[in-house]
Amino acid sequence: MARKILCVAEKPAIAKSVAQHLSGGQATTRSITGNPYVKNYDFDFNFGPPWGNCSVTMTSVLGHLNELRFPAQYNKWHSPPPSSLFDAPVEDVVHQDKKAIADNIEQQARYSRALFIWTDCDREGEHIGAEVRRAAFQGNRSLEVKRAQFSNTERAHVVRAAQNAINLDDRQVNAVAARIELDLRIGYAFTRFNTLTLQTMGEDLSDRVISYGSCQFPTLGFVVDRYFRVKNFVPETFWSIKVMHLRDDTEVTFSWRRHRLFDRISVIVLFERCLTARIAKVTKLQKKPTSKWRPLPLTTVELQKLGSMYLRMDSQRVMNIAESLYNKGWISYPRTETDSFDKGIDLRNLIEKQVQDNAWGPYAQGLLREGFKWPRSGRNNDQAHPPIHPVNYVTLATLGGDDRRVYEFVVRRFLACCSEDAKGESTTVEIEYGDETFFTSGLIVLERNYLDVYPYEKWTSSQPLPRFNLHETFEPTEANITEGETTAPGYLTEPELISLMDANGIGTDATMAEHIAKIKDRDYVMTQPRAGGAAQTNGSTNARGGRGGRGGRGGGRGGSNASAGGGGGSVQQFIPTTLGVALIEGYDGIGLETSLGKPFLRKEMEIKMKEICAGTKTRNDFVQETLEQYRDVFVRAQQQVEVLRAACRKYVFGSQP
Amino acid sequence: MSDPAAHIAAQLTITKFLTPNPTWLSAFLTTQRPTTPFPALTQTACFRLLASDITKSLTSAASTCFPQDIHNANIKERSVLGPVAVQILAVEDMSKSRWEQIEAIEALERGEGTKGREIIRVTTTEEDDSAGADVQKGGGPHKLLFQDAAGRRVYGIELKELEGVGLGMSIGCKMVLKNTLVSRGIVLLKPTTTTVLGGKIEELHKAWKEGRKAELKAAIEANEHEARGSS
Repeated sequence: MARKILCVAEKPAIAKSVAQHLSGGQATTRSITGNPYVKNYDFDFNFGPPWGNCSVTMTSVLGHLNELRFPAQYNKWHSPPPSSLFDAPVEDVVHQDKKAIADNIEQQARYSRALFIWTDCDREGEHIGAEVRRAAFQGNRSLEVKRAQFSNTERAHVVRAAQNAINLDDRQVNAVAARIELDLRIGYAFTRFNTLTLQTMGEDLSDRVISYGSCQFPTLGFVVDRYFRVKNFVPETFWSIKVMHLRDDTEVTFSWRRHRLFDRISVIVLFERCLTARIAKVTKLQKKPTSKWRPLPLTTVELQKLGSMYLRMDSQRVMNIAESLYNKGWISYPRTETDSFDKGIDLRNLIEKQVQDNAWGPYAQGLLREGFKWPRSGRNNDQAHPPIHPVNYVTLATLGGDDRRVYEFVVRRFLACCSEDAKGESTTVEIEYGDETFFTSGLIVLERNYLDVYPYEKWTSSQPLPRFNLHETFEPTEANITEGETTAPGYLTEPELISLMDANGIGTDATMAEHIAKIKDRDYVMTQPRAGGAAQTNGSTNARGGRGGRGGRGGGRGGSNASAGGGGGSVQQFIPTTLGVALIEGYDGIGLETSLGKPFLRKEMEIKMKEICAGTKTRNDFVQETLEQYRDVFVRAQQQVEVLRAACRKYVFGSQP
Repeated sequence: MSDPAAHIAAQLTITKFLTPNPTWLSAFLTTQRPTTPFPALTQTACFRLLASDITKSLTSAASTCFPQDIHNANIKERSVLGPVAVQILAVEDMSKSRWEQIEAIEALERGEGTKGREIIRVTTTEEDDSAGADVQKGGGPHKLLFQDAAGRRVYGIELKELEGVGLGMSIGCKMVLKNTLVSRGIVLLKPTTTTVLGGKIEELHKAWKEGRKAELKAAIEANEHEARGSS
């Protein structure tokens, strides 16, 4: 009987490092027919009971193997009409480009008794695992199927995963399958509808595809929403009272508890009462220890936000780099929602690996000697992956520029997590003056702790406060009414957009960056650096083929992204193009409640996918319910197609109504 | 106590500082069954008064109204003994810009107040910290437009926070001001001198709500003109 075990990873780099670890570097490499990237690695490994010592073939796929598509008779855009795509038959077939890979798996399966799936441990990976299973069954129906649970490619971790395989989670598989079907139907129907409806308007619109995606549109919606908030903004004047007191040669400024009021007369009346009172009295004097909390363990959403905030890279670039650092075994899996470390993980060991670095090595050493503190625990746990952390040390010199910065950030963040909070002492003095209360505060930073290794955050001592005594009275040196004006919010920046997507349930941590890249790609938005007025736009030329989210995830490593780091010094902000505005305005005009530009419909989808994963909803119910909702919107859009056209006339062709 | 009108008037004056005028009271009594006991009758009258327009329902004796020269801005500070019964014609939150309020109203108009239809527009990023002085939650201080029984309109501002005063309060809500401070024609409100009785004038409330956005917009424009005029 065949003793062989077939292992399949999601991409070649993972197959390679897993094979290396399991074989102790003794694997034989074979090329496969028809694909230059995928390799087969042969070696022996002891999986422990019940498997024992087995010969192994480790190979990989390149992301998704299959694609869902409509039969050929639906290829024409006009007929059958786009509306038919809501219930047209669909075919789930091996993608043309992936046939050789599927064949390889089928063949290897013939000589195997079991299949171990090593795809990434998330929903998408689970689904890819199911595709692998299907390909393997083509070759051998009696295979036993297992799934390795791992979140990084560190040796001990991989060995443990190999020896403790679990079962594939078909609920997750179903959730993704449902999403793929919905994306296909809804995406195709609305893309064709948009394109056919608007191309007859000619000029700019005559020969372009106006694509729709259920995440893309709400993402665009946020950009447009903010754009209008900026554009429509009306500045208003406000007034405040400022009290200054000179003591021990220090000018102490007291701020008004009411901050500011938008009513001039009232401020004047209140101010007059202060002056009449003449004497101020210290009513509160508080000195207390204060601290600046060390950061939480790193999640994907945070990595993306901070990447664009601190490293000035767009989220997709950050994710691509993190992914490649993971593939090379330097950091843990970068798609995670978890912001607390499992008690079982050996953090000291991970810190120890960083000791050899010139820059943060001494700090890591210090942590190990004293000062190590178990990281704070956040509230999120996806039950699949730990927070993003460095797995192995790599000399920065061997990494490329941006890779180096991302790795450095992950390491510093990790060390900061394992450190003490920064400590200080804050003093607050509150005075009563007339009927009004004013306050001032001072800060002395006593111990910087984590800040020493985490230069991305700032916390500095203020000018020292002179001495005040409780209940003491004094006549303030000066009191004034100040005047100011409200200012418009800025255009949306990438960290803000990611936060909004996260808060409103658009996309998952794993896909947000792609949606953002997509709306740039489609020319629905442009980006420009926030600071300077120069409207130097920075469009991304990221060519990513295929639907289904992660088509390019295996081979497309290091995908070309022109906007990468191009911002130099400042955060990028998003401004919608005229077409982007027209689409959102158009769909909002058709019906606000279920506008495609609003997050509601998609948010519901995301919630229901979670219900499938939890086993409280069936795939079929989910697909039917969701199709029904979108079909309603589709019918309404067809009936009110003029609203959409009018929005385009107004914004794209610039004819004011 | 054979005269129910006098009895009720006396009761309401003592307990609520509301003195209904005879015309209103007799009209009220004709709608009530004569057999109704006094306590119930008094309570009903109180309830109706709170829902009424006090320029029509209360006596406008000088002692229970604002002094005639209440608006005199030359008077830096004085006390008005009262007790003055007033109704609220408008309420503003002085800590909020009008535009901010318009945006909030528009979000509600778009249905974003309904469950499942909320959109989160603002999230705090660590970068924002720098700008943030700590603004009080819940807003305020508020500026109220009062009207007394004689129909005189006066502004009042919250010197100290008052319970029951806020943007959510009803227009037509009744309050009583006792020994209250007035400075430059503006009533300064403190909990010790202010009693919120409650109530609402339905039509006024509705009109105020509906006209709110337009009013805020008009106020912004008016301020702009003023600013341009003065500069």
